[in-house]
Amino acid sequence: MIWRLFVVVAIVSFALVFASLAIGYTEQQSLRPLAESYVRLVPHALGAPNVITGILLNYRGFDTLGEVAVLFMVAASVGLVLGAGRSPRGVSTEDRSDEPRPSSEIVRSGTEILVPLVSIFAAYIIMNGHLSAGGGFQGGAVIASSVLLMLLAYPQYQPNLEFLSITESAAGVLFVLAGIAGLVLAGGFLDNRILPLGQFGAFFSAGAIPLLSVLLGIKVGCELSVILEKFRP
Amino acid sequence: MMELIGSILVLLGAIFHFSAGLGMLRMPDAYTRMQAGTKASTLGNTLVLAGLAIHHPGWSLKLLIIVYFVLMTNPVSSHALARAAHGIRIPMAGDTGIDALRDARQKNGGGP
Repeated sequence: MIWRLFVVVAIVSFALVFASLAIGYTEQQSLRPLAESYVRLVPHALGAPNVITGILLNYRGFDTLGEVAVLFMVAASVGLVLGAGRSPRGVSTEDRSDEPRPSSEIVRSGTEILVPLVSIFAAYIIMNGHLSAGGGFQGGAVIASSVLLMLLAYPQYQPNLEFLSITESAAGVLFVLAGIAGLVLAGGFLDNRILPLGQFGAFFSAGAIPLLSVLLGIKVGCELSVILEKFRP
Repeated sequence: MMELIGSILVLLGAIFHFSAGLGMLRMPDAYTRMQAGTKASTLGNTLVLAGLAIHHPGWSLKLLIIVYFVLMTNPVSSHALARAAHGIRIPMAGDTGIDALRDARQKNGGGP
């Protein structure tokens, strides 16, 4: 009885909290001054129809670089934590009593059809970051999902970790170099006006934003693939 | 008229989705729940997207790609899940008579 009373009191108090929130909410009729200046500046000064990508890769490009660095540290530390207690490859599979069942033919055929499709979709997301929803981070996650599909369908599949880490480092170095080029040639670190802005809304436009998107996508895709590979039993 | 046809298709798809949800709640074991969810939601998805394509003919190509993707992924993933469930011997409902996968494995000498 007391428990039921308690539940009722909790529900009523939640309802009061949410009701006060809902009553106090008034829809904003105009943008705040900061948002308004961004909405005006990004298409005008950067030539990118997608305001969010313009902010992420230009005004807050340094922040994006920091996020990628965090992801890189996660990849490195996951390898350190999970790689320690693991016997070298080739030995472990023979010792184990419950050898993984090979995946069925339907799964393998489905993977063969889906992996190219997923990769094309990832490239589309990365390359359309400055035009519509998308960008390097999202596209990189989609690339990693295709690697995950390969890992699930082919338990023996071994992605080339050396190639992945070299590609990832090269993309990171090029990203920073593009930022320094912005410092030298244009207004500041990661300024996208080192390349011509081009026609507004075209595929090759918005200066260096597509280039930065591609580098970011490669870097994020490689990092997430390495993390996924580390989690393999 | 076209809008009405599109809306009816979306409604049909919603009915199939509803039956998928009902099957998830009502079916007795993991395998039958899985087939209820997969079959009905695949058809429901296709119908909803076909209705949307009639509403917005400009989106047709993208919607077709989504339908293709769902048709490729949904049955394959449910197949893999069901095989995994069979592999770790999740019990079937009490009155199940036929287990073709187990029979095939026994015929192949216990192998997969």
